[in-house]
Amino acid sequence: MKPFEYKFSDKLDEILHILSQSGTDAKILAGGTDLLIELRRKPKVYPGVIVDISFVNELKGIFEDNNHITIKPLSTHTKIFKSDIIRKKAYLLSEATSQIGSLQIRNRGTVGGNIMNAAACADTVPPLIALNAEITLRSQNSVRSFKLNDFFIKPYKTKANPDEVLTEIKINCLPKDAKSTFIKLGRRNALSISRLSVAAVLQQDEDGKIIDARIVPGAAFPTWQRVVEAEQMLIGEKPGIELFRAAGAKVSEVMISYTGRRWSTEYKEPVIAALVRRALERCSI
Amino acid sequence: MKKVNEIMNKVKIKTTINNRSYKLDVLPNQTLLNFLREELGLTGTKCGCEIGECGACTVLINGEAVNSCLVLVPQINGKEVLTVEGLSDGEQLHPLQKSFIEHGAVHCGFCTPGLLMTAKSLLDENPDPTEEEIRNAIAGNLCRCTGYIQVVEAVKNAAGEY
Repeated sequence: MKPFEYKFSDKLDEILHILSQSGTDAKILAGGTDLLIELRRKPKVYPGVIVDISFVNELKGIFEDNNHITIKPLSTHTKIFKSDIIRKKAYLLSEATSQIGSLQIRNRGTVGGNIMNAAACADTVPPLIALNAEITLRSQNSVRSFKLNDFFIKPYKTKANPDEVLTEIKINCLPKDAKSTFIKLGRRNALSISRLSVAAVLQQDEDGKIIDARIVPGAAFPTWQRVVEAEQMLIGEKPGIELFRAAGAKVSEVMISYTGRRWSTEYKEPVIAALVRRALERCSI
Repeated sequence: MKKVNEIMNKVKIKTTINNRSYKLDVLPNQTLLNFLREELGLTGTKCGCEIGECGACTVLINGEAVNSCLVLVPQINGKEVLTVEGLSDGEQLHPLQKSFIEHGAVHCGFCTPGLLMTAKSLLDENPDPTEEEIRNAIAGNLCRCTGYIQVVEAVKNAAGEY
């Protein structure tokens, strides 16, 4: 690894101060599961300063209050997957984090890093968007909030400034009778990187009619978003295979309207439709 | 061009490795893996892919299995690290080590230290894992010799003695 200056603190204020002094070639180190690989690849722009935030305890933990859950960004995938709060009130996020990388990666990788690295295959992002996540970024002199689906510009590019730290992720708890799931398709079972994924939430009323539907594909669009066109088809209807098939086809259609037809479309078109159908089926059992 | 020492500050850390305390001045641009092997001579931890795919470099930090190739050495400040060298109790092998030998789970041996550490972290948390839980836990440790069958049996058997 080429040399860099290493700075760390266990206090957020000091980290923000360090970043304010560091200029644009500073890189934040959290879990390191993406950054260390990048450093070894000898990127064109090699960071001059690594700011290690992994010791900052105020950026760790998962808390519930009043129908909201606050996830601090240094929560590892293991911590999220093992959290009772997440399993009971945001099940699809639990499901997603349980499938990321390997045990070793889940023990180190953080949800904050997954968001800020902004890889198209980031598995925590589709569930978080389905949970209406809002994030807070802090720098020494500013506090900014974003809806998570508004935060990404393109793969590996977010609206964050180099001196900002993600300090909080806030999600809405799912209603008790809502069901949710996250399905991903990789090239293999172990340590798989998502080729395509789907986060879905369905809520039915007492008569079985769908009153809330959320569908967020992963690795399908240039940036993540709910597919409102498909969600609308479901509202007011009763679950059924034809309905879910149609919703899947709609997601496929919307995806192609964004990405155009390219070499991978022949594969992705039927696969995303099938994943959506499966996810909706799982949410309606 | 600046020299390394002009750019880079050494970092003072305190850490515990295999139950021994260390106070160290470390260069930050090295991984825990390289530090263990090159500076401390603990070559039991193997260097495989160096991108967190193969698990040969697995060690425990505060009891959790991690890829030591994806940890910068100053990040172990204040933490407890356990490598395969710290697994046995003197001459007395750890139940997992015994079981690996008995079940022929060691072929070429390159993946073995990593597998042992991952298996230890699993059994410390879940002393009676199912086969699926074992396979899931060791998914990040590649072995090209055994086909995993002997490894899974060895872990299952060691669990009985835990």
